[in-house]
Amino acid sequence: MVALSISGVLFARRARLLVGLVRMGKPTDRSGDLPQRARNEAEIVLGQRKLLQRLVPGLIHAAIFWGFLVLLPTIVIAMIGAVDRDSTLPWLGHQGWFAFLVDFFAVLVLLGVIGALAIRKVQRPARFEGSHLGEADLILAMIAGIVTTLLLWHASRIALGLNEWPAGWSPVSNALSGSFGDGGVTKVLERAFVWAHVLIILSFLAYLPHSKHLHIATAAVNVFFTRTRARGRLEPLRFDGPEEEMRFGAGTVADLTWKQTLDTFSCTECGRCQDVCPAWATGKELSPKLLIMALRDQVFEDGPPLLRGADGFEAQPLVPGAVTDNVVWDCVTCGACVRECPVSIEHVDHIIDLRRHLVMMESRFPAEAEPMLRDVERAGNPWGKPQTERADWAERLGVRVLEPGDPAPEVLYWVGCAASFDERARTAAESTAKLLKAAGVDFAILGPRESCTGDPARRMGNEYLFQAHAEQNVSTLNESGVTKIVASCPHCFNTLGNEYPDFGGSYEVVHHSELLADLVAEGRLSPNGSNKEITYHDSCYLARHNDVLEGPRSIVSAVGQPIEMERSGKRTFCCGAGGAHMWMEERAGLINEERAREAASTGAETLAVACPFCTVMLDDGVKANGSEMRVADVSTLLAESLDDSGA
Amino acid sequence: MAVLVLVEHGEDELSRQAIAFASGLGEVEALAIDGDASGWPVERAHVAEGMDSYAPGAWARALEEVIDRVAPTAVVAAGTNRGNEVLAYVAARRDLPFAANCVSLLAQDSAGGASANGGESLTVTRVRWGGSLLEEARIHSSLPLLSVAPHAVPAAEGAGSPEVETFTPELDESDLLVQVAEHVDEVSTGISLAEAKVVVSGGRGVGSADGFGIIEELAAQLDAAVGCSRVVTSAGWRPHTDQVGQTGTKVSPDLYIACGISGATQHIAGCKGAKKILAINSDAEAPILASADYAVIGDLTEIVPAITAELRKARAP
Repeated sequence: MVALSISGVLFARRARLLVGLVRMGKPTDRSGDLPQRARNEAEIVLGQRKLLQRLVPGLIHAAIFWGFLVLLPTIVIAMIGAVDRDSTLPWLGHQGWFAFLVDFFAVLVLLGVIGALAIRKVQRPARFEGSHLGEADLILAMIAGIVTTLLLWHASRIALGLNEWPAGWSPVSNALSGSFGDGGVTKVLERAFVWAHVLIILSFLAYLPHSKHLHIATAAVNVFFTRTRARGRLEPLRFDGPEEEMRFGAGTVADLTWKQTLDTFSCTECGRCQDVCPAWATGKELSPKLLIMALRDQVFEDGPPLLRGADGFEAQPLVPGAVTDNVVWDCVTCGACVRECPVSIEHVDHIIDLRRHLVMMESRFPAEAEPMLRDVERAGNPWGKPQTERADWAERLGVRVLEPGDPAPEVLYWVGCAASFDERARTAAESTAKLLKAAGVDFAILGPRESCTGDPARRMGNEYLFQAHAEQNVSTLNESGVTKIVASCPHCFNTLGNEYPDFGGSYEVVHHSELLADLVAEGRLSPNGSNKEITYHDSCYLARHNDVLEGPRSIVSAVGQPIEMERSGKRTFCCGAGGAHMWMEERAGLINEERAREAASTGAETLAVACPFCTVMLDDGVKANGSEMRVADVSTLLAESLDDSGA
Repeated sequence: MAVLVLVEHGEDELSRQAIAFASGLGEVEALAIDGDASGWPVERAHVAEGMDSYAPGAWARALEEVIDRVAPTAVVAAGTNRGNEVLAYVAARRDLPFAANCVSLLAQDSAGGASANGGESLTVTRVRWGGSLLEEARIHSSLPLLSVAPHAVPAAEGAGSPEVETFTPELDESDLLVQVAEHVDEVSTGISLAEAKVVVSGGRGVGSADGFGIIEELAAQLDAAVGCSRVVTSAGWRPHTDQVGQTGTKVSPDLYIACGISGATQHIAGCKGAKKILAINSDAEAPILASADYAVIGDLTEIVPAITAELRKARAP
């Protein structure tokens, strides 16, 4: 009783603080979409889907997790048994099948713990770098203690003939019971085992909310409240609030949303995010795991006084208090960490809010990105080219430029700045236009009336500049009566499709790779296959953020022999340009060279891409590595294959 | 009626241009902050004293005091960073219209007569969007604020002998919230990339850090600065300070020599301000050729030393 209340009080006090800290968070709307949320709970929590992305550690975790779900009633049974040796839970305590499940899962948990220790002590994967390793060992030891004492308790009860269930149902306990006599020693041991079992559980309960193992309590909640809408969408800021509330982004702990605080409580430092992070992989300071851990430390430091409303207390800035400026700017917003995280932490949202604060409240960001922001604002494209030259490439091909008042085309081709202005990226626009013409698609471009979607500004944290462009583009598109858009840039594609609805622009948006693949499937384009080996690089903003996987692949299959890279599909590795990094300098290893090396290792002669930035980054990477590989957009490969037939 | 001009010591040329512009609007009075104002070619000079370092709020306060005393028909300043900033403060505090970077005065109407405030208007031409657009703006106000784009009008010549009045503006703390804390001189070593008349730049085609030897030799012959493309700094051949491009320095020399640079958009964004571009490239299809005025197609390791040798020969006594 005393032990139970001590443990209960410790747990409750801590829980109250944690709940208070979460409730202190700024609002973020996570209501609605209940069926999707229920599905997430079933798949990600109960089904352990994300953990099982890595089979062995996933199975180990699943064994321990499922084991604990099954063993939960034994906590009550043990507590009853500890108080009164001859009582047990009505009904369930007598069931042979339950005794069997307990035996089975207790052993499974034990095997899981051994496996986990083997990984931690023998294999020592790099993803644990920076995690609290001692804490993990203590927790594993406690888990092992809990199931061992349970098995021993059951064994001793069988030896004493105290088992309420048919002994034959619990083979392991039954086998162990052979090593106990039926005398006084066993009677003492039986008491010792049950009390040890209960006390370890109670200490575990008290320790849990003070440790990284808190995820037992928070993970399921965090998964439930994870974003259900488009993953590539960022939450818009409002600029029409009262002046005294004008704080943008996350400057201190007080600016975090409740979900962000909950994120920090859910992290169990498994390091899967760190393992897939392109910044970390190339020697940058950013690790998504260490970011979340640093924010959690800051929440525990500044949160309690904020919660108390301590007089004159000022929370310290998150940058550089919790993390350095470099950490904030190293991120390419590729979303690999978010996708990998088994507890649905949304790392990119944290990064963007930190950037928003630095850019909009402190005007602090890498100096080399300033011309891009200025050019987007002033010239409507990130290189400061004259808007009047935007459609120059199209004029040569006789592409219709939609003038105000013209009837809307069936499909509006949103070219994007890179494909309009960049020499290397433009080939894709030319190919796409030629293919659309060849297939007889009724399309037009906006020409000088198209401007940057604002994506690079938004990913830099300059939400204000983004919204100005969003509103302008939405009004152009709406006035032109546009209903369907094909975009050649995955970043435009993501912004137009996922983010413009927040600004009154709702269109059917497809990526050129999808539209072209459809035209091939419908027989409106007839490519010629070849023996050329082609490896396709998935863009983060197509594959990971928007599930566009099949379109580009079907084009590649139609024109050559596809060969996959190790990291492909939704687990693709960034080219290094995302998150406005096209306009920033890398301060350590180069992501594009790393990716180009991976592509070259497939032995393919062509590296297919579907994004103008991937085109430029990987072409640079290939050249820097001294490789002969050709980098080409899927639209270009498709157009060439048609040309081959003399069509 | 008087027109009030904010003059800046140290920006005499631009201030005199503002005075010349203002003289088209009426009799010119000047506000100077500290210093000797006796030489300005104006009718009367007001000198605000006790202002140690530049503080836009404080300068604006001084200007407001003179506005209240003199009741001018317009306020003019040079289109310097300070001129624009101070007028922006006054415009915000007094809710007055401010037309920045004017280049000419088109018309001054005082139609309406009876209603002095409603009927007056002033039409000016001003530059917008970094010089890419000229805007004709009509300002309806009894007190328009105007700044004059640098070098748009000739400066007012000669020395005047204005009546000088000194005063100490009444400032409160909020006027000094923003002020200059420190002056830091730009550290410059050699010829600065941004200001060089000639820039010799190398790209991936140069091949290595050592390959820049021939680039440096040519630059030395031409008193030029050495630049490079982003791939060069990414590869660590040159420091980032040498990078010409969107994420480096934007240059505007008379001559830009691009050696072994393919001409990615990111690079062109940094050198498009050059008056003439000479490209030396082995690839006749390189995008740089679309931006170049002259091109030599061939191996830069032969061409660049050959140019250097010719220059040496020509300069030899």
